[in-house]
Amino acid sequence: MPIIETQSIHKIYPNGVHANDDIDFSVEPGEIHALVGENGAGKSTLMKILYGLEQPTSGRVAIRGDEVEIGNPQDAIELGIGMVHQNFMLVDSFTVAQNIILNRETKQGVRIDFAQAAEDTEALSKEYGLAVNPEARIADIPVGMRQRVEILKALYRGAEILILDEPTAVLTPSETQDLFAAIRSLVDGGKTVIFITHKLKEVIEISDRVTVMRDARKIGTVNTAETDERELARMMVGREVFMQVDRPAVRRGDSVLSVQDLTYADSSGHQLLKHVSFNVYEHEILGIAGVEGNGQTELAEVLTGLRPPTTGEAYISEEQILGRGPRSVREHNVAHIPEDRLTNGVAVWSSIDDNLIIDRYYREPFTRRGLLDINAIVENGRELIREFNIIAPDGAIPVSALSGGNMQKVVVARELSSSPKLLIAAQPTRGVDIGAIEFIHQELVDQRSNGLAILLISADLQEVMKLSDRIMVMYEGEIVGIFPNDESLTEERIGYYMLGAERQPAEEMERQA
Amino acid sequence: MTAKEKSRPSAGIAEVSFLRKHLLLIIGAIAGIVVTLFVTNTLFDGSMEKMTGTETWQNILLVNALVGGCILLFVVELKRQAIRVLLTVIVALLLGFLVTFIFNLDSADRFARGEFRAQVVSEAEPVENDDVDLEYNKRRGGEFNKPNVVAPVSEVAWTFAGREGDVVSLLAYAKNRRSDVNVLVELRDETGAVLAAASSATELQVEETFDDLVSVRDAVIEGFALPADGLYTLYTRPEEVETGTVLAEAMSQSQLAFEALLLGPIERVNRWGVWIQDAITLILLGMSFAIVFRAQQFSLGAEGQLYFGALVSGIIALNSPHVPGVILIPFIILASATAGFIYGLIPGALKAYLGANELVSTLMLNVIATRFFEMVLNFQLKPADAGYVASAKFTDNAVLPVIVESTQVTIAVFILAVVVFISWLLIRRTPLGYEIRIIGSNLRFADYGGVNSKRTIMLVMAIGGIVAGLAGMHLANGIHRQLILNISFALAFEGVVVALLARLNVLVVPFTGLLYAYLRAGAQFMERDANVSFEVVRMIQAIIILLITAEALVTFFQARQKRADIDETGHTVESLEGADV
Repeated sequence: MPIIETQSIHKIYPNGVHANDDIDFSVEPGEIHALVGENGAGKSTLMKILYGLEQPTSGRVAIRGDEVEIGNPQDAIELGIGMVHQNFMLVDSFTVAQNIILNRETKQGVRIDFAQAAEDTEALSKEYGLAVNPEARIADIPVGMRQRVEILKALYRGAEILILDEPTAVLTPSETQDLFAAIRSLVDGGKTVIFITHKLKEVIEISDRVTVMRDARKIGTVNTAETDERELARMMVGREVFMQVDRPAVRRGDSVLSVQDLTYADSSGHQLLKHVSFNVYEHEILGIAGVEGNGQTELAEVLTGLRPPTTGEAYISEEQILGRGPRSVREHNVAHIPEDRLTNGVAVWSSIDDNLIIDRYYREPFTRRGLLDINAIVENGRELIREFNIIAPDGAIPVSALSGGNMQKVVVARELSSSPKLLIAAQPTRGVDIGAIEFIHQELVDQRSNGLAILLISADLQEVMKLSDRIMVMYEGEIVGIFPNDESLTEERIGYYMLGAERQPAEEMERQA
Repeated sequence: MTAKEKSRPSAGIAEVSFLRKHLLLIIGAIAGIVVTLFVTNTLFDGSMEKMTGTETWQNILLVNALVGGCILLFVVELKRQAIRVLLTVIVALLLGFLVTFIFNLDSADRFARGEFRAQVVSEAEPVENDDVDLEYNKRRGGEFNKPNVVAPVSEVAWTFAGREGDVVSLLAYAKNRRSDVNVLVELRDETGAVLAAASSATELQVEETFDDLVSVRDAVIEGFALPADGLYTLYTRPEEVETGTVLAEAMSQSQLAFEALLLGPIERVNRWGVWIQDAITLILLGMSFAIVFRAQQFSLGAEGQLYFGALVSGIIALNSPHVPGVILIPFIILASATAGFIYGLIPGALKAYLGANELVSTLMLNVIATRFFEMVLNFQLKPADAGYVASAKFTDNAVLPVIVESTQVTIAVFILAVVVFISWLLIRRTPLGYEIRIIGSNLRFADYGGVNSKRTIMLVMAIGGIVAGLAGMHLANGIHRQLILNISFALAFEGVVVALLARLNVLVVPFTGLLYAYLRAGAQFMERDANVSFEVVRMIQAIIILLITAEALVTFFQARQKRADIDETGHTVESLEGADV
């Protein structure tokens, strides 16, 4: 008998969006069930229904064979359902133990028994192999441990069924492996795990069965042993997807960007970049690997003029570009795909046309004799929409009407059409669906083959390894290694450098830079 | 929900957009022409002779045509949203009507109070008796339920002496047309038994039989033959007011009030002038806010800029009595614009380069400007012999030439038209306008794209100042023709409403300014023409403004909220898309 079973769940949001369309979904006790689908496929909605955060418009939910109504998360917890959200819901200033017992405190009179809490945490942590330090403050512990705290919190509340919403998005490869080990021990201990993701490789690795969703519908449930990434991708996207990027060997050319001894400290004096030196060459993609928050963001923003450097120089064709503002950098033919398109990559309430000219509106042919040439702007929009396959009726609609993938295509179209010599691409495929990822990857590689120098920053190590000609690893604002991307380079090896466990000798690094 | 699916319905629209664009143009043009003709027609009571008899009727027609043009722009620019704006106005008016109705529920009270008269009419010989209250054919009166007295009279019983067989008619009636009291009358004998009663009169009685009667509400017992000699009593009091009467009264009063609100401003040319001249001020102020808000700068400095503009143009006007108007007027316009520009540049620079919150800095600068204005007015400009704080009247060469007789509608109309055109050109057709729009849409995107956002923010606040400075010039040299205290009448903040209502669209601001000024003028005339107190008028006006603003604010803040949501959950795009696309 399935532990969770839903029958023809429909969810229509008040704004008319049909987020779940006739979903029959069932999970067997003791299995690891992966739920995959692109952004907006309805996975989160379905899980929110199971956790009581949303009510289905129609349809039935049965837990252990009994039909139930889950009106709020409290009901879900009583039914033994726990959920670990993508954004952790922890109190930063509390200790691990305090967070775990929050709202379930054992009391001595009116005093909360913190010693007992720590003991309980310790015991729970041992039982499931989820190592945490009960006395540490949340603010002081790494992301991987915070996630374990979240899981322990759910277990402490008696969860038998754990829903993990994209748990690996914030983890390094080795942390991911730790998490997978923990999940396996949870299942051995009789728990059931629902694992939401869109990384197919992880699905294959960890799950027993997979349910694929697309466009609010369930496409199917398959045994993991009987499928592969390619089939799952096809189910997710609805057509054949080429997971591999065709990256022809090209001889790299001259140095385009030369960074020398770059240091950056923020206003509170934290050294976020320490003596960074490297080159990016024509016909080359230089990938930066590293756990997020190790200086990659600052590097991109200093190089593109959004932040002033503390010391150091960067040259493009012999000209120093740092500290002169974004327009000056752009006029040296540097393009920039920012890491968070919604923050500064697009103006969502402006039209696509307007978004496509932010770097060139003041030049001919867009401005003539002091006035904007609307025809030129519209024509530019029309051309780029066609060329970059942006799905939109015309360039007059606001960017907010586009899906994440198409928004990113707007950014990519603008940046690549500025005929750059250097492209700084930060998280170019974050939050983008598989179809658009494929397109963007191919576009980056094609441009590189045509001579563009690309500095690629991505939190997705697989992406870095797939696209880069060389890989540079950053740890705590420093470059800890630069490697040619050949067969000898493995994810594991890079992982050690990412965690700061290893460091390339200085001479070797200099030779590779 | 792929992008492909989303685009499908819009793709269909794209095919018919050609037709729709022209459809809107046609609808807008028809609406504009209808309003132009309606306003002109009402203004002259539909009489061609009356129109052509007015001296500057061509200019009235021209201004009305411009009003029609504003409506055309409103329809074409706002498209479907125009319907929403209109619906809101209609709902607001209905609600206002409801409030008026509620406040008029007491208007039937006037039937229960007021001065009255009573008499016994008879052709028989009067009986001699000094102890009675009434004698045949002698009027006696009083006032029922007089407000604010300790013991108001609510009924009277007056005795009179009669003989058997005397034919008497008993009358109780409102004293004159000023009193609406609705009385009944009873004839009682010595024991108090009611012999006859009446609560109304017939038309015939009012028109012919009894000269004293005012209306059919008055009460008459006609031709009653007294049964015996003795004392009788005439009893009279106001009738109970029935619910039906109360409602009907409240309704007719509210209708009267709303007629004044809706048609008052276009009843006569001088009233129409009040509407148009107020609209000019409001449109200029709305335009100032629309430009500044467009860049998401919440500068409320228009008031200070207005005072500064008014002060500068006023000082120039007072000091140039002999410069010909053709030179002086353009100079004054330029000077007030410059004054506004400078006074806008200050908070702009403070914001851009020192990070001073523009909301706070502009409010403070407003205080400085208004007090400085008052100070200069009080100690420098006020003539020594003036009885109140005001400058001398400007000489004619410094006053904006009037284009419509008996109003203060001046060439400011044309200045305004130019301002609207230039504002449109600036926002939609210049690189600076592009920068303003992009900064308003996403400041960090503008920075990323290389826009010099500090310079743009400073400039946009200064440009808003130019327009507000012109508004001050219009008030000083167009309307008041001298500098007075409170020259803005706090109009500046109403410009915020005008701008929000227009969705910060500079081509829609003229319409919303006209609409808003119309409601203001209408409220003024409602108070004057109808039985609605000043407080009620103000409340109704506030309700209307509240609803209109609320509607505009909802859209405005929804957009901001969505933006904030996206900012916060930027990386959890899925939850956003699932919940609200």
